[in-house]
Amino acid sequence: MHADLGILRGQLEAIVGGAQVAAGIDQTALFAVDGVIPELVVRPGTQEEVAQVVATCYAAGAAMLPWGGGTAMGLGNPPPRVEVMIHLDRLDRIVEWDPANLCVTAEAGLRLGALQEILARDKAILPLDPPASHRLTLGGLVAANQSGPGRLLYGTVRDWLLGMRVVLPDGERIHCGGRVIKNVSGYDMNKLFIRSLGTLGIVTEVTFKLLPMPTVRAGVMGLFPELTQAWTAVKQALESFLLPEALDFLNPAAVTLLAPALGFQATAGSCGLAVALAGSPETVERQVHDFTALFRDGGGTVIPLPTERTSQAWEAIRNLLERASASNPARILCKIAVPIGRTGDLVAAAGRVGQNCGLQATVVAHAGSGVIWALYLPGSEVVPEERVVQALEGLRGKAVVAEGTLVLQNAPPALKRRVDAWGAPGDGFDVMRRLKLEFDPRGLCNPGRFVGGI
Amino acid sequence: MANKALVLELRQIVGRANVLDNMVNLQLYQYDAYLEEHRPDAVVFVHSTEEVAQVVQACNRHGLPFVPRGGGTNLSGGTIPFEGGVVIEMIHMNQLLEVDCSNLRARVQPGLFNLELGNALAPLGYQFLPDPASQKAATLGGNVAENSGGPHCFKYGVTTNHVLGLTVVLPDGQVVKLGGKAADPPGYDLTGLFVGSEGTFGICTEVVVKIVRLAEGVKTLLAIYDSIEAGSESVSAIVAAGMVPATLEMMDQLVIQAVEASLHCGLPLDCATVLLIEVDGLKDDLELQAKAIEDLCMAHGAREVRVAKDDAERALLWAGRRGAFGAVARLAPSFLVCDGTVPRTTLPQVLRKVAEVGRKYDLRIPNVFHAGDGNLHPLILFDWRDADQKARVLKAGMEILELCVAVGGTISGEHGVGLEKMEAMRLVLSEADLRSQRRVKQVFDPRNLANPGKIFPVPEEVLCAR
Ligand SMILES: Cc1cc2nc3c(=O)[nH]c(=O)nc-3n(C[C@H](O)[C@H](O)[C@H](O)COP(=O)(O)OP(=O)(O)OC[C@H]3O[C@@H](n4cnc5c(N)ncnc54)[C@H](O)[C@@H]3O)c2cc1C
Repeated sequence: MHADLGILRGQLEAIVGGAQVAAGIDQTALFAVDGVIPELVVRPGTQEEVAQVVATCYAAGAAMLPWGGGTAMGLGNPPPRVEVMIHLDRLDRIVEWDPANLCVTAEAGLRLGALQEILARDKAILPLDPPASHRLTLGGLVAANQSGPGRLLYGTVRDWLLGMRVVLPDGERIHCGGRVIKNVSGYDMNKLFIRSLGTLGIVTEVTFKLLPMPTVRAGVMGLFPELTQAWTAVKQALESFLLPEALDFLNPAAVTLLAPALGFQATAGSCGLAVALAGSPETVERQVHDFTALFRDGGGTVIPLPTERTSQAWEAIRNLLERASASNPARILCKIAVPIGRTGDLVAAAGRVGQNCGLQATVVAHAGSGVIWALYLPGSEVVPEERVVQALEGLRGKAVVAEGTLVLQNAPPALKRRVDAWGAPGDGFDVMRRLKLEFDPRGLCNPGRFVGGI
Repeated sequence: MANKALVLELRQIVGRANVLDNMVNLQLYQYDAYLEEHRPDAVVFVHSTEEVAQVVQACNRHGLPFVPRGGGTNLSGGTIPFEGGVVIEMIHMNQLLEVDCSNLRARVQPGLFNLELGNALAPLGYQFLPDPASQKAATLGGNVAENSGGPHCFKYGVTTNHVLGLTVVLPDGQVVKLGGKAADPPGYDLTGLFVGSEGTFGICTEVVVKIVRLAEGVKTLLAIYDSIEAGSESVSAIVAAGMVPATLEMMDQLVIQAVEASLHCGLPLDCATVLLIEVDGLKDDLELQAKAIEDLCMAHGAREVRVAKDDAERALLWAGRRGAFGAVARLAPSFLVCDGTVPRTTLPQVLRKVAEVGRKYDLRIPNVFHAGDGNLHPLILFDWRDADQKARVLKAGMEILELCVAVGGTISGEHGVGLEKMEAMRLVLSEADLRSQRRVKQVFDPRNLANPGKIFPVPEEVLCAR
């Protein structure tokens, strides 16, 4: 590859213009993935240019990675090679915004936060709330299947994405789905690309269905001295008729981190439950009342998050782990997904990993969805890597026994070389491998980073 | 004709009584709710994943295609054995394996009827949300294969939004477990890809679905209109007002008359259309929502709005909607159900054009549809014994799909492509789009044995070569 790099660079410059191709370590180092620095960074300005860039790289045998907002670049195994980083930030246009049909089409490089601002002017929302939404792009949202607390009521990307345009590894452009809310015209190709991490092509445009903005929002937070009290409250909430948008569990370390942002004093050792409520004034008021009662009766102290403070509070909760760790290269962030009823067990196990390894464990769980985020940061003592490896494998083992999985969302590359980011691929792996081989036989799209070495 | 060696092998797998190969029985399996007929070589009743795998392996050894069949209620020819082979009858795999309330999941076998699952969950206070109008006779395996919708999809999504895991017998006979009770399994979303694959990626033998609590309250309204436009404008107005009803269903005059003749639900015979609206959720604001909807409907030209006072009245309104297709059978010996979907706001315009198509081809076309989803079901009436009518029906059907596509819609909202809409696929998909879908089929089923001859139009290269 190296010999032809100059030729490839010239070809790419002919497509996107010289100013949009960066080479040289001072410019490309910013785009390193797990320490691997790309040779070239290209910034196509249109979807057609993306197709030409991809086709050119494919023909040249260059390994390519898409870069959206860069918020999920830590997800996946360390790449064996990266030649061309395809930076999509110039693809940031709204293609069609149809408020009457609650449907929007936008290019993949548009930031989620920017989209939400545009939608809000017409009182609509895309009910997906991952962290770092001001940086996260729509393409990254889809390819890395990012989600947030609101998945309890609203689900994830697969529940809102109606259609997309994709550039396949050889540069061919295809269209999947459409812009109507029910569509079975052939296979559901959207599902092939959601959470595929750019290994089957590059998403260049997405169409989402939307919801009307709820009239009122509010929240309630409960602080519980005992873990079991919190999990009993979760169980009762899930068995009730109540329909919270989100129901997040926070371990004591998370409560301590959050306290300043929400302006309360955390009693040492208490864990928290935060509830987000949205809807009409009547249903929100009723739920605030019921959750307050439920938390109090369960032995909790209640901190109301009234309407005027609720969005700010949830902004803090959503971004808690990100803000506590984004600049720390030593951070280990695990996403554990288990059947809903096993969430409490795995939260406890995730906490013990911290104690056993001398790491500081901050754990937040989307309690009604079975999704747990465990952040580990180094404490005062230096821990042998071997112990961390064993502890993470042990935790993964527990998740697997509970019929779930553990994914390393972020970790130092050295650790990821010892603990696979995804865990053992399941039963369907043979089909996955053949899909990859069919669409990317040369293995050039985000190679080596995905499940089972795909 | 029936391959003797294969039949012997099949009998060894499932037992003598579970294989049908005489002509009368085979003829019973040569059709479904669509218009074409093709005879299978054998029909096999299966009872376990293991049996399905062995039957599929036997088909592989003989290089014969196989077609899974659930309730046979699909409307696109999905269960017709287009290239012969073995029909694998799933109806005996109908166990509800597990209701797991603490994890909000249920595990079912694919032959269970959608309504049976609902009936088992309701006493526990839970429900499975996708509810095709055919739920009495449609299986969950069929729902998965067609990615079925239903009257509650506007608020709650379609089958794919409620399926988390599948056990699948792949077309080569391998058994794989995809997904499961937990969310976001790493790797490609094969579960999501399988849902809606119309039996062409293999056979699902177990399904893990999401269940949710029954809603605390429900309000059902019926708005009655003297013009179709007023009805469909009300639909847009309700959504524009920021409300998300669970149901927004419409029926036009011909359908209402047919429903009344067979079910006596108390619908006015002289109105142009009725809109069935349901709001559900926490009880606190349902009265207010119902009132707001009533006001909106009246402001948009409703003649009258009725609110169901109790469960009995609600059940009656629903019986009318769920029985609509059946009732329309009174109007003519056959009908073709179109399934185009359009952006909601274009409904008035599209319905006018559908009526024009009816006039152009001299065919009666009643309409019953999921208005909130923009999913039309024009029912083109005809007599299947009349070849000329049949030809006009097919042309009219295609024209209706074309006009749906012209306003930004698509050719199928929930009934699937099957044999029916293969040629219409080109209206919405480019050659490159089609090629990418064929490549996925090729990965799942390299020998093209799983329900062959469906979904894809003849490739352009072949057309050109002809
Ligand atoms: C009166 C009436 C009303 C209807 N209303 C609706 C509605 O509101 N919404 C809607 O979406 N549809 C509706 N339909 C269409 C139809 O009922 C649905 O498509 C239904 O899901 C089909 O289920 P089935 O068990 O009858 O499947 P079948 O017709 O037996 O099969 C459908 C397809 O699934 C495949 N298949 C069956 N079982 C399996 C399996 N285990 N694994 C893999 N593939 C399998 C078959 O090969 C075939 O391709 C209606 C039909 C009728 C007749």
